[in-house]
Amino acid sequence: MHAWISLKDVQKRIDEFSLGPITIDFEPGTITALIGENGSGKTTFCKMLMHLVKQDQGEVYVHDKNTREDADTWKQYIAYQPQKPIGYEVYTGSQLQTFISTWYPNWDQERFEQIVEDLNIPLQKKFSKMSEGAQQKLLFALTIARNTDILLLDEPTAHLDIPSKRYVIDTLVEWMDEKERMIIISSHQIDDIKKLSDYLCVLHGGEVIGTFEKETLQESFKQYWFRDVLPSEPIPGERMRQDNMILSENAARTEAYCTEHGLAWETEAHVDLEEIITYLLE
Amino acid sequence: MYLPIKLTKESREPIYHQIEQQLQTLIASGFLAPGNALPSIRVLAKELEISVITTRRAYQNLEANGFIETKQGKGTFVSEVPDDIRKQVKSDNVLDAMQEAVHIAHTYDYTKTEMIELFTKAVESYYEEKEGES
Repeated sequence: MHAWISLKDVQKRIDEFSLGPITIDFEPGTITALIGENGSGKTTFCKMLMHLVKQDQGEVYVHDKNTREDADTWKQYIAYQPQKPIGYEVYTGSQLQTFISTWYPNWDQERFEQIVEDLNIPLQKKFSKMSEGAQQKLLFALTIARNTDILLLDEPTAHLDIPSKRYVIDTLVEWMDEKERMIIISSHQIDDIKKLSDYLCVLHGGEVIGTFEKETLQESFKQYWFRDVLPSEPIPGERMRQDNMILSENAARTEAYCTEHGLAWETEAHVDLEEIITYLLE
Repeated sequence: MYLPIKLTKESREPIYHQIEQQLQTLIASGFLAPGNALPSIRVLAKELEISVITTRRAYQNLEANGFIETKQGKGTFVSEVPDDIRKQVKSDNVLDAMQEAVHIAHTYDYTKTEMIELFTKAVESYYEEKEGES
């Protein structure tokens, strides 16, 4: 499959913080969740994709267009929802809709109006007067209605109530089903990650520590309880040990080792995705 | 359409295979009739909280085995499944469940004869309970 977004050895230093080098491809038809602790570089990563932060080294390609080139050649393919948009405060929702819709030739007015109605977005209020939740709903409507191939969403559901979160997830799923599209979503919300993502791209201290397919990741983490006395040195795949319990990050290797060395485990258990993420971010 | 698929992550059976087997059962039992539309790969992935990679794999295997078919631009639909294949699916399902029980019995070091005794006991107590109800 041909990547829609490609990063090649991209690096950025901002004061003490350094991001990268990052090399990663994002393919059409997929949803990738960017996960990482606060300050791990997710927002900088998003801004760099949009060339709002210029990388010190390396290249970013959107639909084969180098983002260092004229933005007109690639920005039409990608709609970005930032956490904090700049310059929106003094405008009402309706005014923002008028501005933004003129920049995007494929603007989907019907979808915009539907979301405004479904989520009760107060379009006549000034952006600065809206609650955080209403601002986020408006941003979502303004982003998805651009009708692009790619969505880049930075924490799109953080301030939403539970039904609105569910609505956003369902709308994104519908949007993906309409044609060949792609989403990159930075999120701390476990529901976004569980219900939307195919891949998890894990950032830690400015480095991408890996991109994992969701089930492959879940199948590789496992807990085992042993009756036998365990060797004192760590066994292959071992991530953590508590008395007679071993948590493995490579179940296949751990099981192969145990079978080979006649170590029988009593029971085994699957590890919840939320817990796996916690281990990965440690 | 909402599909009553329940995944057990504790199972050693891979997720795609669990989906495949449960869909086969829903089709063989007639819960899903020929021509019924199935959810899109993306919708099913959301509902089951898994990736589209896994869901697609299950759909591809089901399609290769003649249980479902994808019509370009329209979606995925349940196929007409021949009777002998339906029968096969049913007996496979029962056998799978029995093999699981045999596996548990084996880990407790039961002998073959003891397993058969236990099985007979299970069958009898099932019917006794049923008769008690009616």
